[in-house]
Amino acid sequence: MKRVLIVGSGASGVHFAQTALEHGAQVTMLDVGRVAPAPVLPDASFARFKREHADPAGYFLGSKFESVLFPGAKGEYYGFPPHKGFIFAPLERFRMRASGFDPLTSFARGGLAEAWTGGSFPFNAQELADFTLGPEGLLANYGRVAARIGISGADDDLSRFTPVHEHLAPGLPLDPHSAQLFERYGREREHLNTRLGAWMGRTRAAVRADDREGRNGCTNLGRCLWSCPREALYTPSLTLRALLKHERFTYLSGRHVARFEADESNRVRRVRAVELATGREEVHEVESLVLAAGTLASAKLFLDSLRAHGGRAPALAGLMDNRQVLVPFVNLAMLRRRYQSDSYQYHQLAMGFERPDPRHYVHGLVTTLKTALIHPIVQSVPFDLKSALWIFRNAHAALGIVNVNFHDDRRPGNRVELEADGDSTRLVVQYAPSNDEPERMKAALATVKKALSKLGCVVPPGMAHVRPMGASVHYAGTLPMSATRAPLTTSPAGESHDIAGLYFADGTTFPFLPAKNLTFTLMANADRIAQAWARA
Amino acid sequence: MADRATLERECAAFARYLGAGAGDAYVTEQYVAAHEAGVVELPGTTGFERSVVALARALPWSLRALDAHARVFGNGSLLRRKLVLLLAILETRAPHDEALDTPTAGSNLGMFVRMAWLGAVFATLVVVTALLLLPVRVVSLAGGAR
Ligand SMILES: Cc1cc2nc3c(=O)[nH]c(=O)nc-3n(C[C@H](O)[C@H](O)[C@H](O)COP(=O)(O)OP(=O)(O)OC[C@H]3O[C@@H](n4cnc5c(N)ncnc54)[C@H](O)[C@@H]3O)c2cc1C
Ligand code: SF4
Repeated sequence: MKRVLIVGSGASGVHFAQTALEHGAQVTMLDVGRVAPAPVLPDASFARFKREHADPAGYFLGSKFESVLFPGAKGEYYGFPPHKGFIFAPLERFRMRASGFDPLTSFARGGLAEAWTGGSFPFNAQELADFTLGPEGLLANYGRVAARIGISGADDDLSRFTPVHEHLAPGLPLDPHSAQLFERYGREREHLNTRLGAWMGRTRAAVRADDREGRNGCTNLGRCLWSCPREALYTPSLTLRALLKHERFTYLSGRHVARFEADESNRVRRVRAVELATGREEVHEVESLVLAAGTLASAKLFLDSLRAHGGRAPALAGLMDNRQVLVPFVNLAMLRRRYQSDSYQYHQLAMGFERPDPRHYVHGLVTTLKTALIHPIVQSVPFDLKSALWIFRNAHAALGIVNVNFHDDRRPGNRVELEADGDSTRLVVQYAPSNDEPERMKAALATVKKALSKLGCVVPPGMAHVRPMGASVHYAGTLPMSATRAPLTTSPAGESHDIAGLYFADGTTFPFLPAKNLTFTLMANADRIAQAWARA
Repeated sequence: MADRATLERECAAFARYLGAGAGDAYVTEQYVAAHEAGVVELPGTTGFERSVVALARALPWSLRALDAHARVFGNGSLLRRKLVLLLAILETRAPHDEALDTPTAGSNLGMFVRMAWLGAVFATLVVVTALLLLPVRVVSLAGGAR
């Protein structure tokens, strides 16, 4: 029986584990694995929650009011809900500093995708061209993962950019604002497609409409941002929960894996972990080791191991992330309507924008404003708060945002490396955007604004917000897969070309990052790598 | 930080200004708790900011004008922080959430006319308060210099 040890229980780790188990392997998973608090009032809608919860301010704003966005605060328009703090809480043993990049890491059970918004858009053949995958691509893997987690969407105008895979379930019912936009798109389609190269379709999201396999279907509670209490919105901890029932699966949480060790022939032999509660060091012998700790944490683990082995660790070049620009809009046809609070909260529509080079495709997620904390938005209206509130309440149902995503390439200057920090090490992340970024962004945003205008929407001047690099949390590219054997790369099957028996199942091996959210591809790729590993 | 009774009165006056009646006991409790947690009045708060809040407390009818002034000349100032905090608390709590976030009756045209009116009033208030508050600012600065 083949044995594998996996580091990390995020989207990448759990899908590698599930496939490995399906192929008869013995799987051990080591994870820091911080646990989520139990759901509160699981059947209450957003509106009912505010009526029935004894301490709604404590729930939404935090016991220390840490989720209040005060005026003048720098950063994003929204704060993460307090009870999601476990996802992003730093770990003292993981030290990092960054320039040009705002990195997020997670040491939670399920990883960063415990907080994700579920956008699941498969990469097409052009976007996968550098992935050295062979003619079969990832389509079958997308289908397998979709069957596991539940992906809703439709075969529509966006399919020209986003392949249709098996087990694509019908999209959730559209909220009134999204329905109005989609209907208007139908009327303006010809102009938008031919003149602007702009296309619209139902979003692809990891959310289930029906009750299945111990999860409840979406009942439009409108609490997605505060963690779906019905488990309709997929998170990796749900897969982990299912894996825990498997007799060939061992899960050891509360462990921080410090490094691995290889023998003289550069074959991985063991990992050294620390049990966080006791500080006790553990040694685990391994046949195969899979790093799925997230691109940044996997890089640190890899570099710390090389450093302990040979005294020096190289820099890993090619870090990628999607630049995101938030373009708010007001849909004039929706002014003065009551917003629908009982509705799936995240994006229900998506837009694709053609570019001369298809790999530079620009992707937009269209979120209409429904349930949300309103104080960050109201205070941004350039009036006194009373007038701002009056304007907001009449415009709430008409507000929306397009989250415009741009592709990224591997460039040598964007890298991660180690620096000494006392008797420990720190990961240093350096990132600078490409020289042509301002020009690309300007051209694409002009098209986005024209398309919105054609849909009857106004973009308030000066309100587009360029998010800092790192904010999209789509990290990839530090040890790319390569058909030719070269140092600091991996084989197409995800095995390190430097250390035999060491695999990467997360974004580490991506050689290119299209403008689409990558996590569905992380899961599909982890499934592919696990199959290749199991058959090897 | 002001004492509890002052904060309670302040909370009721500010809630009325935002259109949520006088709030309720829970809202007041949260408002006071946030002040006690030290997230409202930051170390750099100036004497002028405190004077503006004292004025708002003493003359609640002037709140809109003081808020307009703060929006332009001190968006992160004490008065704005207090108002935004209270808005955040009110929006988490029924029935205030509804009171704050339900569209008003009327036509779209009426809405645009009202917005233009709100804009004109806002601009006027900013200019008038800039002049009226000048002495308060000077006195506060002089106090600070001592
Ligand atoms: C707010 C938000 C919204 C997002 N929305 C989307 C979206 O809509 N669509 C999309 O595609 N993506 C989205 N993402 C990105 C997505 O969450 C990540 O791409 C994805 O979670 C990465 O998964 P991963 O398994 O590779 O790594 P991670 O999620 O980072 O998981 C890492 C795991 O490794 C463990 N670990 C790390 N280091 C160690 C160590 N040394 N020892 C032991 N265990 C360790 C951690 O405990 C964790 O379990 C979003 C992210 C955020 C934050
Ligand atoms: S609307 Fe969101 S929170 Fe409610 S059931 Fe659906 S996915 Fe869950």
